Order: sequence, then structure tokens, then C-alpha cells
Amino acid sequence: MPDALDCELLVIGGGSTGAGVAWDAALRGLQVILVDRSDLATGTTGRFHGLLHSGARYVVRDPAGARDCARENAVLRRVAAPALEDTGGLFVTTPLDDVEYSNHFLAACPAAEVPVEEIPPAEALRREPRLNPAIRRAFSVRDASVDSWKLVWACAGGARELGARILPYHPVLALLRDGSRVTGARLRDLRGDRELEVRAECVVNAGGAWGGRIAGLAGLHVGVRPGKGVMVAVNHRLAGAVVNRCHLTGDGDIVVPSHSVSIIGTTDTAVEDPDDVEPTAAEVAAMLDAGDALLPGLSRARALRVWGGARPLLPRAEGPGIDHRAISRSHSVIRHSQVDGMAGLVTIVGGKLTTFRLMAEDTVDAVCQELGTDRRCATAETPIPVDGPHGHHRLSHRAEAFEHRLERSDGTDPLVCECEMVPRSELLAAARTHPGSDLDDLRRLLRIGMGPCQGGFCTFRTAAILHEAGLLDATRAVSVLLSFVEERWKGQRSVLWGQQLRQSHLDEWIFQGSLDLEHLPETSAPQSTRAQEPLPNGRDPLGRPLGTATAQDDRIASPPGPEPEP
Amino acid sequence: MKVDALVIATGEGSLPLATGTIDVLGYSPGLVSSPFEALPTFLHANPEHPYRIAGIDGVEHALAWLAETAESLGYQGGLVRNRWVPTVLGGLRPTSMLPRSMVSADLHANAHAEIVVAGIRGYRDFHPALLAANLSLATPPSGGRTIRARATEVEWPGNSSDLVPFRLARRLEEAAVRREIANRIRPSLGGATAVAMPALLGRERWDEVHRDLEGRLERDVFEVPGLPPSLPGLRLSDCLRRALRRAGGRLLLGSSAVSATRVDGEVRSVTVTQAARHTEVKAGFVILATGGFAAGGIARDRDGTLREPLLGLPVHGPQVGAEPTSPRFLGSQPLDRAGVRTDPTGRPLDTAGEPWARNLYAAGAVLAGAVPWREKSGEGVALATAWAVTGAILGGAQ
Ligand SMILES: Cc1cc2nc3c(=O)[nH]c(=O)nc-3n(C[C@H](O)[C@H](O)[C@H](O)COP(=O)(O)OP(=O)(O)OC[C@H]3O[C@@H](n4cnc5c(N)ncnc54)[C@H](O)[C@@H]3O)c2cc1C
Ligand SMILES: Cc1cc2nc3c(=O)[nH]c(=O)nc-3n(C[C@H](O)[C@H](O)[C@H](O)COP(=O)(O)OP(=O)(O)OC[C@H]3O[C@@H](n4cnc5c(N)ncnc54)[C@H](O)[C@@H]3O)c2cc1C
Repeated sequence: MPDALDCELLVIGGGSTGAGVAWDAALRGLQVILVDRSDLATGTTGRFHGLLHSGARYVVRDPAGARDCARENAVLRRVAAPALEDTGGLFVTTPLDDVEYSNHFLAACPAAEVPVEEIPPAEALRREPRLNPAIRRAFSVRDASVDSWKLVWACAGGARELGARILPYHPVLALLRDGSRVTGARLRDLRGDRELEVRAECVVNAGGAWGGRIAGLAGLHVGVRPGKGVMVAVNHRLAGAVVNRCHLTGDGDIVVPSHSVSIIGTTDTAVEDPDDVEPTAAEVAAMLDAGDALLPGLSRARALRVWGGARPLLPRAEGPGIDHRAISRSHSVIRHSQVDGMAGLVTIVGGKLTTFRLMAEDTVDAVCQELGTDRRCATAETPIPVDGPHGHHRLSHRAEAFEHRLERSDGTDPLVCECEMVPRSELLAAARTHPGSDLDDLRRLLRIGMGPCQGGFCTFRTAAILHEAGLLDATRAVSVLLSFVEERWKGQRSVLWGQQLRQSHLDEWIFQGSLDLEHLPETSAPQSTRAQEPLPNGRDPLGRPLGTATAQDDRIASPPGPEPEP
Repeated sequence: MKVDALVIATGEGSLPLATGTIDVLGYSPGLVSSPFEALPTFLHANPEHPYRIAGIDGVEHALAWLAETAESLGYQGGLVRNRWVPTVLGGLRPTSMLPRSMVSADLHANAHAEIVVAGIRGYRDFHPALLAANLSLATPPSGGRTIRARATEVEWPGNSSDLVPFRLARRLEEAAVRREIANRIRPSLGGATAVAMPALLGRERWDEVHRDLEGRLERDVFEVPGLPPSLPGLRLSDCLRRALRRAGGRLLLGSSAVSATRVDGEVRSVTVTQAARHTEVKAGFVILATGGFAAGGIARDRDGTLREPLLGLPVHGPQVGAEPTSPRFLGSQPLDRAGVRTDPTGRPLDTAGEPWARNLYAAGAVLAGAVPWREKSGEGVALATAWAVTGAILGGAQ
């Protein structure tokens, strides 16, 4: 008999949607458990483009969706400021774009409540000197750059403060049913290597592009169509603002500044499997070339890494339980009690990260109907506890924090990652508040390995420091190091040319030549029983007293965080 | 025979990044215990490998040349058996020759009853605990017991805010600093017979630093090289440059070759830029030693085109459209073998398979057919091919 937990609401999927639902429901006083098959924000939410839409992109095609974006953009600037960088955005008519569209565009903004201001091309070029000098029109909008990891951790952390339990690395294996009612789920605890049951009065399926599969566990059909999109990060900020082509949408027409890089995206192709999103060389090439229309020379910039994500698209369907309150919604809340006669299950699909709060509000409204209670949503007024200095995120925050530390430190806190300026103390603090983390988890927390060297130097240091502090034994230190190197390789394979190829060959020399990763005792031989080196009573391998790392599987702190990426 | 030699180099090259050990063949892909015995089979199985230009004799001569030329660094070893030296992660890596500061790192035959791995707190590229833990798991491939290793970490005497390799190495050249370091390590020695330290034991005066520490600790002391930059590699680089100067050669560092003129199947001159000035350098023979992808000797464009940027030589490797890499980092990467193909004497070939020029040779990482970081053949290929093509030039010029 597996262990069991009880709650009022079980949320499946720890992306922006699921975390938003957990935060909203916890604020309304519900007892919540949030689970994900992996770490939080490692699905589409961790692999997106990083843009907080102003709504301008949708004004012509989908004015209602645009209005949602515009309203939510304003709300998030109030309640989630530290997760955003107020870069502003520009829509520009390049020589490839139809000027006629820009007339429709400008006319459609007011109806969709999207603030816009036309500025002379010369002014746009003054603000962004790398812009295509041949642009014919330019419009300033309220786009921003958003850090999805920070946002998700903040929602989950906030929900936890209100009593919710957060269970990453807990895939749902089955939905529990009692006749025509879903009563919970059976989970696998990947890190504890056991199974457990969660019994809930209501279950939310926030599985995004995987939502169809999760509904399938209850024998229900939700026609999610995963749409693959690829993005490329290039070194440096080529523009300080988000730059968009002013046209009806196409591939590679937005460049988003994110931390110290620029991200160009994206594409949209249907795929069967939402896990099958590795970019092809042709997609990457097309993306970079397309970027030249906005920022000439982008295609020759140093591409650092690429990744793909799967949009949770739901082809429009009408039905009594499908809530289309406003005219058009880019997300759908499905009460299965109304559609399929299956009580206790609500599915939320579609939407965007920008509208995650609204999606959560609609979802929890439906949950309250399922539960027969009436509780008011409070997320539009309640600040999400995002970690970080007050006000919006600025690119200089990390450098300021580092200088601050230098002033106080006695110099024994060396940088582990020079590219992203992560000191040893910050690494250890994050590892201690997230017991069991591997290097990829820490990457999302701290951005280690995300700069130009792509982990060539910091990977070894990180593994060694965690081992030194008694947080990983030697065997696990080597295995997390190896899997991190393999993981980073996936993002690099498609950008092996020019400068980045030189870098990647230097990394090959380091990992395979100098460190000879391939032939460590752990990699080449079956695991020895001596792998667990003795840690004599509370001492680390250097004989120092161990820190007070306590294992608590659902603890989420919110250390400074990162940009959206694999 | 006296030759007027000029070396043109954009950058410092790979040596200051490298470990300073001379690898010849460590994996083929199985573990190699004697390069001398393994090379014939290896060459048979890899007929395109650059070692074919040198042959085993060439490799042997090249190592002998290095031992003599870098005599001041006390290189020891040879082809007969591989040495097994700890990496900074604590694995064992096979190599053929070691400088004196690493000679006692050869863990071939249980040389040491117990090793103390001594680090410096706050130095970010040496982590004794992990090194010692992994080393204790390793078994020397030549058999015998597992290795016993323990970690210790000492405070750096003095300002510890800027513990970067060159500064540490320079400070260790001061006797007072060494005395302090030795005093701090001594309490942890116990029954250990050797002390492993980060490869920071001086730059110019490494010999004095090394001997002094051995004397003070009354143990064998050896350096463990790790991430770039690397003092042992830098010392070798310094040493080879001095040898070039002694022999009357010249080095133009920070200058780049940009093109060459070829007339009647012969390179007549090379155009060199230095600080925006172009100079024609006339030469009887030209050796292309511009390195691999990391050094810029071979390049790849976004569309997958492989190029040799200086002369436009054809590059042998995965062609446009072919899959250049494996989904696994540790998998086999076809791109890694890319490079310039030559005739058996080391002359690069044109697309028709003929020497591109009668007097053009190539050596080192620019050559196709090796995966030096996996095979553990980096300096071996560089030295042996350099030896072979200079031999061909000198022989042919006589
Ligand atoms: C290429 C691309 C670019 C985008 N760019 C933007 C943008 O710039 N701005 C914007 O606003 N929106 C953008 N979006 C849209 C936005 O990223 C998504 O709409 C949003 O992140 C979806 O969040 P989600 O929580 O619904 O899904 P996900 O983040 O995918 O969350 C679903 C979670 O369910 C988990 N899961 C799956 N199966 C199970 C199981 N069996 N058990 C437990 N857990 C499970 C997954 O691990 C995953 O974490 C982009 C989308 C794509 C594809
Ligand atoms: C991190 C690292 C670790 C290593 N570890 C080891 C090891 O443990 N053992 C081992 O045996 N080997 C090791 N090596 C390899 C070793 O350094 C080899 O000697 C090297 O790879 C090959 O040497 P090379 O002279 O052919 O090329 P390089 O040393 O790369 O030199 C090429 C030179 O050509 C110059 N150049 C390129 N184009 C031009 C141009 N157009 N004009 C003028 N100059 C130009 C470059 O600037 C550079 O100076 C390591 C290498 C690296 C990078």
C-alpha cells in the first residue's frame, strides 16, 4: 500500500499555469498539492522565448487575446515586478513587411486596449542603433522581458508559505477514479524511489502540451496539438528593447533581450510528441537569417545555444463545459463534469505565459464551481513573493550584488562561474535550500553554465564544491557532472560553427583531454562499494563539521533566478 | 644544417592551456598500456591517422628530441609503457612523458603507500576532496591495489582575495611563502609518501620550488594539472621558444598569415599582417601548423562548409548535409576528425589528391584523422608530425 496524502486540490504540472493555479487557489484558502514529473518550470515554461507580451502582436489577428495580454501585462508589472525587466518593445516595418499592415496595426491597438505610440524611424534607430536602417515605420509598445523561472518559483514559494505542498520530480502515473469522479492520482517519487497516492476533492490538469496525455489517464480525450518552436540565444544584447517585425506573424520575427544575451525566435510546427523538440540545423539557420531583417548582422553573431519548446495548442472546439466567457480566448478551461460527465477534474490548456494569472483565475473559478464554494480571486492585487531587489529586474543587478559582496568579503568566496558571476557562497546556499539538486537544477536557479563558455569551466568547480560541502558523494558528483555536460551538449550541437565551435572544441579538450571524464572510475567501471566515502560523524571529506543541510523534499526557496531555457 | 626559420603565430597556441604531459596514445579505443606495442595495430586500423606521416620511428625520435630540447624541465618517459597520472578530478590518465615536477605522479605500480592531496582554500580550480575520493576508487590499469588518498586544504598565507594561477605560482617562488605552505601541510602528512598539489609550483623557478617543497615535506611532491591556463604547459611553451631563439629562429607573435602566392606548384611567399601592416615573407618551405578548430586552423561555416582559412586547402570531414555530431557528448563525433589531408610525407593534398604545392607541409592539430583528446595523442601528434615534416624538408633540401 503506497503512502497517501490528502488535499482539496491536486494540481498536475508545475509550469507557469500550474504554479499560477496553486498560488491562486492557496490565496483563496484551498489546501493544495502541486506536482511535476520533473523540476518546476522545465516544460514549455522553461523553454519559451521570454517575452511579456504587450498584446501588440495579436491586435489584428486576435483582438480579444491582445486585450488579455495588455491587461495582464499591466497587472504583472504591479504584482511581479522583480521577475520582469522593463525593456520596452518596438514594432518596426522592415522593407520585407507590408506598410498596409502597419495601418491596420495602429488602428487596431486602441480597441484592444494596447498602448502604442508611433515614433519616427530615426528615433527608433537612436534608441536601437543596430536596427535595420531601412525600417519605414516604428511603434513603441509596453513589451518586457520576463524570467519564467523566477515567476514560477515565486508562485510555488508563495503557495507553500500558505500551506501548499510542492512536489517536483513526482510524475503522475495514473488518475484515481471512483465511478465517474476523479479522486486523486498515483505518483512516483523519483528521488525517494517510491510510489504514493494523493487523494483530492478536485484535480487540475495543467500539463500543457502533455495535457492530452494526462486527460487520457482518465480515459478522456483532450485534443492538444503540440506546436514546436525553436529559439537561438546569441551572445550580447543586440538591442536593449524587444524588437518585433510589424507584420501578421512569421518565423524568427522577434528578438528578446534576456539577461546578457539576445534570443531570436521562433517557429511553429506541429509535432506528435511534446518531448520531441530538438531544433534542426535548418531551423536554426532559418531563424538566424530571418533575424537579419530586424538586426542586420544577427546571423553572424555568436550563437551560444539553441532549444525548442512545445506550445500547448488546442484547436478551437465548442461545448457546454468549455468556457469561452469573452468572445475569443486563447486558453480553454474544460470542466470535464460538464463535457464528459467526469466530475472532479478540470483541464486548462492553451494560453501564454503572459496571461498565466488570468488562466489560473479562470481555472480556480471552475474548481470552486466543482467544489461548490464561492471564493474570490485575489491574485490581481496580491504581490507574488518574487525574490530580488524591489522594482523591476535590471541587467546590472547581478554585478551590483557581486560588488556588494566583494566589499564585505575576506576574499574566500571565489567565483564559481565567471560568465554569470556566481560565487561559491551563493552556490552552496542554493544547494542547501534545494537538497538533492543536480547541476541542471542549480543552473536554473543560478544560471551557472549559461554564459559563453557553456559550462567548460564552472561545471567541474560546481560538482567539486558540492562534494566538498558534503552535499554529494564522489560518485554522484561525477554522475551529475556527466549528465550536465551531456545536457549542455544538446543545446550546442546545432550551433557548431565560427566562434562557438572554437569554444566547444576547447571544452572537449578540457572535459575529455585534461579531465578525461570518459575514464573516471565511476564512468568506466561498475560502481564499487567504496563509492560512498566515509563521512565520519558529521564531518565533510575535509574533516570540517558539516553544514546544516536538511532534507525536505518539498522545500522551495527563491534564490535569484534566470532566464527561460533548457 | 643551419636553417633560417621564422614562426608566425596569431596567438600563444594550445600549449599554455595544455597539461604539459606528452601524450602519445592512451586509448585505441581500448586502454593502451604500451604505445610502442599498440601503434602498429592502431595505424593499421586508422590508416588516415597523422601518425602515419611519422611512423613509430618518427614518434620515438620526436620524443627524444623533446627530452633533449626541454632538458631543463626534466621530461622523462617514452613509448614503452604509459604513465598513469591523476587528473584534477581524480581519475587516472595515460601519458608517455612527464616533466620532473610530475614524475612521481606516475601511479603505475603502487608507487606510493598513501597520497595526501593538498589544496589551497579559495583557489577555485583544485578541489582536493573530490580528487582524493575519486583517486581512492581508481585502480592502476597495470594492476595492483587501489590507491590510498586523503585530502587536506590549507589557508593561503597572505591576501587570499585574488587566488589566480599566475599570481600563486609567482608567490610560491618566494621561500617564505613556501615555508609557510609546507608548515601548514605538514600536520596532515601522517604515513603518506607523496603529496599531490595543484600545478602552481612556480613558473621560471619551478625546479627550486619543487625541490624545496619535497625537502621540507620529506615526501615526493607532484603537480596535478587541471583547467587552463596551465603552468606546466606554459613552462614547456617558454622552453621551446627559448630553444627556437637559441637555434637562431625567430618568432613573430601576434602576427597572422593571411594568404600565400603559389607559382608553378610552389609557394613563393606568405603574406603576413602585423598591426595592420602587410609584409611579404619569402620562403623556401612553408609548414602549416595553424592548429585545429580551437586554434582557428580549421573552421566551419554555419551552412556546414569546412574550411582551411589560410590557403583554402580542402578539408576532409563530414560534408555539408552529413550529420557532423552525435547526440551524446561522449559519443563519436565525426566533426572531431576533420582536418587537412596529406601525402605520406606530410604535404597537404588538393581536391585532385595531388600535393597542393611541392614545398608546403602540414603538422599538428590541423591534420585530419586524429581525435587527440580522446585518444590522448595531442602533443604526440604535434611533435611527431613536426619532426617528420622538418625531416622531409631538411632531407629534401640537402
Ligand atoms: C517556442 C515557444 C515560445 C513561447 N514564447 C512565449 C513568450 O515569449 N511569451 C509568452 O507569454 N508565452 C510564450 N510561449 C507560451 C508559453 O510558454 C506557454 O503557454 C506556457 O509556458 C505554458 O505553460 P504551462 O504551465 O501550461 O505548460 P508547461 O510549462 O509545459 O507545464 C506543464 C508541466 O506538466 C508537467 N507534466 C507533464 N506530464 C506530467 C505527468 N505525467 N505528471 C506530472 N507532471 C507532468 C511537465 O513536466 C511540465 O512542467 C511560448 C511557447 C513556445 C512553445
Ligand atoms: C585545454 C587543452 C589541454 C590539452 N592537454 C593536452 C594533454 O594533456 N596532453 C597532450 O599531449 N596534449 C594536450 N593538448 C594538446 C596540445 O596542446 C597540442 O600540442 C595541440 O593541440 C596541437 O598543437 P598545434 O601546434 O598543432 O596547434 P596549436 O597549439 O593550437 O597552435 C596553432 C597556432 O597557430 C596559430 N594560427 C592559426 N592560424 C594562424 C594564421 N593564419 N596565422 C598565424 N598563426 C595562426 C594559432 O594562433 C596558434 O598559435 C591540450 C590542448 C588544449 C587546448
